[in-house]
Amino acid sequence: MFDQNGLSLDQAPPISVVFGLFLMGAIFGVISGISILYFGHDIFDISSTGAIITVHLLALGFAMSFMLGALFQMLPVVAGVVLESPIPKSNLVKVALALGVVSLIIGFVTNVGLLFLFATIFLGSSLLYVAYTMGSRLLKLSNHSASSRGMIYAIFSLSLLVLLALYMTTAYAQMHSGIYFATIKQMHYSFALFGWVALLIMSISFQTVEMFYVTPAYPKLLGRYAPATVFALLVAASLSLLVNNKLESYIMILVYLLFAIYGTITLIRLSQRKRPLADATVWFWRIGMVSLIISMILLIVHAFISNDTLLEGAIVLFVSFVTSVIFSMFYKIVPFLTWFHLNAQGYFTAPMMHEVIHPTIAKRHMWLHIVMVVSFAFAILIPQMVYLAAVLMMASFLWTTYHIIHAQKLYKYTQENSEKFEMNIG
Amino acid sequence: MNKILIDAREMEHPVPLERGIAAISTLGKDDYIYMLNRKNPIPLIKLAKERGLNTLSYEDDQNTWHILISIQDENRLKELFDV
Repeated sequence: MFDQNGLSLDQAPPISVVFGLFLMGAIFGVISGISILYFGHDIFDISSTGAIITVHLLALGFAMSFMLGALFQMLPVVAGVVLESPIPKSNLVKVALALGVVSLIIGFVTNVGLLFLFATIFLGSSLLYVAYTMGSRLLKLSNHSASSRGMIYAIFSLSLLVLLALYMTTAYAQMHSGIYFATIKQMHYSFALFGWVALLIMSISFQTVEMFYVTPAYPKLLGRYAPATVFALLVAASLSLLVNNKLESYIMILVYLLFAIYGTITLIRLSQRKRPLADATVWFWRIGMVSLIISMILLIVHAFISNDTLLEGAIVLFVSFVTSVIFSMFYKIVPFLTWFHLNAQGYFTAPMMHEVIHPTIAKRHMWLHIVMVVSFAFAILIPQMVYLAAVLMMASFLWTTYHIIHAQKLYKYTQENSEKFEMNIG
Repeated sequence: MNKILIDAREMEHPVPLERGIAAISTLGKDDYIYMLNRKNPIPLIKLAKERGLNTLSYEDDQNTWHILISIQDENRLKELFDV
């Protein structure tokens, strides 16, 4: 049969959409490093203001920006979903998200109710809008892949975590008493970390790991049922919080187990690559998956033996999992988009992908990243190490910031100084 | 007709696209690109069509895609399939 089923990368979004969100994420990453430098070892006390501020700078400022940028890029690739008018949509999300994060962080510092009201409006409107825009298009697909199906559950989780967050920000804004605050906070963290972040990474990997690294496909059972199972378990765990905290922790153990299995399968798949050499992006995936597996094991042990150090280790490694995978995707997406858009516009003298960001640049960043993760792990036991870790985090995100700006400049330079391609036929 | 074979079945994304675009940029009127791939490379096909080339894609029973790109018309391309 002659048809066009397959990869649908031709409708890649304008470069400014993805680069704008990535740049914002990288800048918030630098600010996260500054926050850690300021609060020091307090960030390991999860109920402290320093920890709450740093977690939100990382989760909302850094990870959310990168993940939304990646979604704008990946939705056409993995699901064939094209978002109309991506530039105004992404600008709206970018501005509202930035204002929301800044309001929230200053709100945490000053405890001024009005700032939480601003955060409620900006974060609620931007994130629910993006969840609706992307989710409604995904739901309309007639044929689902493991990736597109999983992304629907991740976006459902995003909507839920935002609604739960709005309960808390409106309580901070003194619009109600916040009687269920502690329970809602627990649900919010579960849906944010596992329903949104981890599930989105899992869903995207079902297609990208095989496509980027020529590995065997993930087991059909995992692709078909894991995202729905994680989502159902998170809903069950949240509901059980209303009646029995112990039951919630047992249900969450199943979630941890599922992600540990997923991480193990991903490591096995990466070891089955056809190409013997591994570039930095493969190693970022491996670091991410090892971090995920150990983090999940620590959380399982923590469910039986309540110990702060175990929990702190699990959090550090979960952050390592997320940042590692994001950096891997970053080094795939930025050179590709720059090269692809220039070629699509007819600039056949456009820089090749390795000229946009050379693989050795990614490899150096990988080493910086490894030292940063190890420093954070040691900082749990040696408080002074946290300052080194913070500086390394700032360096890591400044590095990222520089390479986004560099790619953008190269893109503009090629557009302004290169001739367009003429066909050699006729 | 000169065949430019690109066996992309074991190439990591986006190398097939990179090789395909490089081949299109030097394609003569008596040349045709014959790509073997795990997926149908729609971005490459779109780029080829935008440059006035004809393309044809076919998935065989081994799930390998055969993609032909040339200035020649579709009927001529069908004659050139190796399946």
